[in-house]
Amino acid sequence: MNRYITKSNKALLRELVRTDFKLRYQGSILGYAWSLLRPLLLFLILYIVFVKFLKLGNGIPHYPVYLLLGMVIWNFFNEMTMQSLGSIVGRGDLIRKIKIPRAIIVLSSSVSALINLFLNLIVVSVFMFINHVPILGTIVVLPLLILEAYLLALGFSLFLSAAFVKFRDVGYIWEVILQAGFYLTPILYPLSRITNLVFQKLILLNPIAQIIQDARFVTITHQTITGYSLFHRGWLDLVPFLLVGIVLLIGAVYFKRESKYFAENI
Amino acid sequence: MDDFEIDNNIAIRVVDVAKTFKLPHEKSNSLKGAFINFYRHNRTYEKQQVLENISFEIKKGEFFGIVGRNGSGKSTLLKLLAGIYSPDSGIIQVNGKLTPFIELGVGFNPELTGRENVYLNGALLGFNRKEMELMYPEVVEFAEIERFMDQKLKNYSTGMQVRLAFSIAIRAQTEILVLDEVLAVGDEAFQNKCLTYFTKLKQEHQTVILVTHDMNNITRFCDRALVIDKSRIIKITSPAEAAEIYTKLNQ
Repeated sequence: MNRYITKSNKALLRELVRTDFKLRYQGSILGYAWSLLRPLLLFLILYIVFVKFLKLGNGIPHYPVYLLLGMVIWNFFNEMTMQSLGSIVGRGDLIRKIKIPRAIIVLSSSVSALINLFLNLIVVSVFMFINHVPILGTIVVLPLLILEAYLLALGFSLFLSAAFVKFRDVGYIWEVILQAGFYLTPILYPLSRITNLVFQKLILLNPIAQIIQDARFVTITHQTITGYSLFHRGWLDLVPFLLVGIVLLIGAVYFKRESKYFAENI
Repeated sequence: MDDFEIDNNIAIRVVDVAKTFKLPHEKSNSLKGAFINFYRHNRTYEKQQVLENISFEIKKGEFFGIVGRNGSGKSTLLKLLAGIYSPDSGIIQVNGKLTPFIELGVGFNPELTGRENVYLNGALLGFNRKEMELMYPEVVEFAEIERFMDQKLKNYSTGMQVRLAFSIAIRAQTEILVLDEVLAVGDEAFQNKCLTYFTKLKQEHQTVILVTHDMNNITRFCDRALVIDKSRIIKITSPAEAAEIYTKLNQ
């Protein structure tokens, strides 16, 4: 592992991320401001539809921010995996002509997504302030949850980007899976709306649901259902973490095996 | 001489390397295609032998030429040396760092400015931003395009792009340099610059692998040359003889 963290690899990673950002807002008048405008506008839509029209969050304090935080974490997962998926094929020109550690390409798109997540979290914190959300001591756990989300997304990213080289269907399949995941995860609706306890438990075995619920618990309100309370501190509470580990391991092993042949298969 | 000493004088050792590409008849990079082909039991592909029985050594400080016609396997050989492909069988030992560039201007992005491309390209060569800032003025001066550095690369002429790419590539500080067809583009003045650069490399006893179709450069700079044709090495010999064989192959 250490042989990848050299000075020149770090410089390359930085340069690739920089290029990504420069190209992303190329030709748009507002440029980088879109990174902040997008979550702001998203919040507006969520607020009007789910808080004002549907009144989904009755009973949950600070529901608008609660909603936004879940959405922001999901968007990070969505964006990072979708961008990484095409990253190896998209950078085929480099892969075919130069020897650089292949994983750097996936890492660079993951860092771009991570930077976007932080910009979005700034917007969330502004709304927390406006909404008078009390600052909870448990917020110190949030970085760990973000790390968990990052590792999960990285595992999928490595697997998907390598698989996409061979099978272009992976892109469409993953899109459908993400759609399904979005509705199966308590992002737009509060988990308490699902009255069947078995379903509640099943949903919370999903790492992304666990991360979102835990993040809400530690930053916004302790009135959030988490696996910790639901499984009564049983071993089931560990399942999401185990899944993250498995995904990361499979992703890394598959990527390493396939990366030897990227240059000829792209 | 004992083994240790021999090893230290060798820059690259290639032993019995072979490489084949699988070329599917019906390109099945979709799952459905893969399933159908799998159940039909006729996953038909053609195995194309690109290189076989390749063995040679390049000494440290040697100017080594590789010549061959189009499609003879030169590029694949270079990519194997650079570690971009992995061989099916055989051993490739590279003693020291090798410039990873197979082509000029790898990673150049038309939407970025000349300046931004210099930094990106430099990073691919292994330089960090600080080092690039130091050598940036030299790069620009050598390429003779000071006025255009803040314009997007897509507005450059081909010649300008190549000059810029070449100016960055020659900053590479690695032990082994691979130069593939660099002289193909550029006007006479620029080609003279390239020749000056080669002369400098030769005087400094750099290890260089030069791939070119220009036999004048082979005879002028190389110490030895390898002739490759139809996936096999024809001969490793003096530059003069290599040029002669190459000319015959083209008739």
